Amino acid sequence: MTTGAVIFAFDNEETDYVAMAAWSAARIRRHLKIPTAVITDCQDPGRLSQFDHVIAADPVTGGTRFFEDYQQTQTWKTLTWYNAGRVDAYALTPWDQTLVLDADYVVCSDQLSVVLDSADDFLSHRMAWDVTGIDNCSGLNWFGDNHMPMWWATVMMFRKSPTSEFIFDCMKMIKENWIHYKDLYHMYGGNFRNDYALSIALGIVSGHTLNVNNIPWGLASIVSGHNLTQIAPDCFQIEYYNQGRLKTIDLQNMDFHAMCKKKQLGDIVANTV
Amino acid sequence: MPIQSERGYLIMAQNSHKVDYVDCACQLARSIRHFHPDAKICLLSNTDATESDLFDYHEIFAWPLSDNPYANDWQVFSSSPFRQTIKLEADMIIASEIDHWWTMLEHRDVVISTGARDFYDQKTPNRFYRKVFDANNLPDVYNAVTYWRLSETAQEFFRLVRKIFENWEQYRTLIKFPDEIPSTDLVYAMAAQIIGPERVTMPFASYPRIVHMKRGIIPLRLENWTQEITWESDPLRINTVAQWGAVHYHVKDWRYD
Repeated sequence: MTTGAVIFAFDNEETDYVAMAAWSAARIRRHLKIPTAVITDCQDPGRLSQFDHVIAADPVTGGTRFFEDYQQTQTWKTLTWYNAGRVDAYALTPWDQTLVLDADYVVCSDQLSVVLDSADDFLSHRMAWDVTGIDNCSGLNWFGDNHMPMWWATVMMFRKSPTSEFIFDCMKMIKENWIHYKDLYHMYGGNFRNDYALSIALGIVSGHTLNVNNIPWGLASIVSGHNLTQIAPDCFQIEYYNQGRLKTIDLQNMDFHAMCKKKQLGDIVANTV
Repeated sequence: MPIQSERGYLIMAQNSHKVDYVDCACQLARSIRHFHPDAKICLLSNTDATESDLFDYHEIFAWPLSDNPYANDWQVFSSSPFRQTIKLEADMIIASEIDHWWTMLEHRDVVISTGARDFYDQKTPNRFYRKVFDANNLPDVYNAVTYWRLSETAQEFFRLVRKIFENWEQYRTLIKFPDEIPSTDLVYAMAAQIIGPERVTMPFASYPRIVHMKRGIIPLRLENWTQEITWESDPLRINTVAQWGAVHYHVKDWRYD
């Protein structure tokens, strides 16, 4: 059985997702000892040398999204967000067992090997948590006006199997009928999001019971408003304010999701030799 | 009432000028029969107008207390025709098989259900309706599903329930922020506290499950959930999520079938 990671990387106006994915691919290889495929519209061989497989695809926009870290002095900046192709991961992956990772998921350990060793055909995170403990993530772990539980598409492990195929087929169906599902779950003004589609799909495939096996730990996250710097290859420092006081926390050998900090993570990637 | 059957469901329905609880009871009985056609069901009501074929037993009471209709609740103990009874509030429906409840409950004399769940089957942290319980450290009981077998414990419990209802002016002095008119849940909680919660509750059991559809428990904008979120029947799904056990639908005129 072949195993590998897949990263989607479509650059937008501000973020070099291909560079971020290449940086991540090197970390995946170092910690998890598995090859990496990138799904991208980039055609520059020089930027794609870190990947074992390059899968050409057209970007599909899920709409535009506000990114706080790109806030300019007076105006909030909204960027085109290329992410909607994730539902095609099942069809596009070259592996029998695949780990789909967001380009901004930072692998600092071999913890995900536990997920690769599990007997489940599909696993993802149910709950994200803020590593600083400031944000209870209540607005992130549920969606819609009536608080449907949300599963995160940031890390998805799947094996080629009927269950996984059903899940991705469902996600595709949800994407194609997004207006209906957006209304059904009262998501006002909501762009299509892979997390929402995954959550709805898992609900359907579980027979509407929401009894779903999850990655058995939470998704460590650095939420909006915190500063991220790299102080060693697998050690990152987060600066944040707690009741007006500046505090820092170091994450050593711990995977995390750098949410909303695309520019800072982009700078770290750009400064990595 | 003499024992006429080993075990069964007892539904208490007192029609008021606003709510046809007997009609609610009929809906509940149909939902039980959907999953358990041979279940024994008894209706306790203040009217004889009902679908007689839905119920194996139908008792009509001359309610002795009229100022607080809840205060009649203690009479369920002496009125049940069953050796083992599961009392159900009328404005609920059963959304799945529930006969496994008996397997666990039959080992106890009395079990009052504890904890409210939302329609995602999560125990709700919301305490909006439970402030007096928390202020007085009372067990988080819901009388909507209550089991008992003929026993001294059950007799003692329901005697106490009667005593609290009939002597509320004295009992209310024992707790902080008492209600003017006590709810059945509050009286059950006080009775449970007096005779020992460990004797009459199983807070760590995963059932009996009750889903509560009150706005303070589930995330809703409107008081009437049926006007805000989708629901589907057979099987019951709320906001697309399949329901299990008892669903306390709160909107009294909601008709599932």
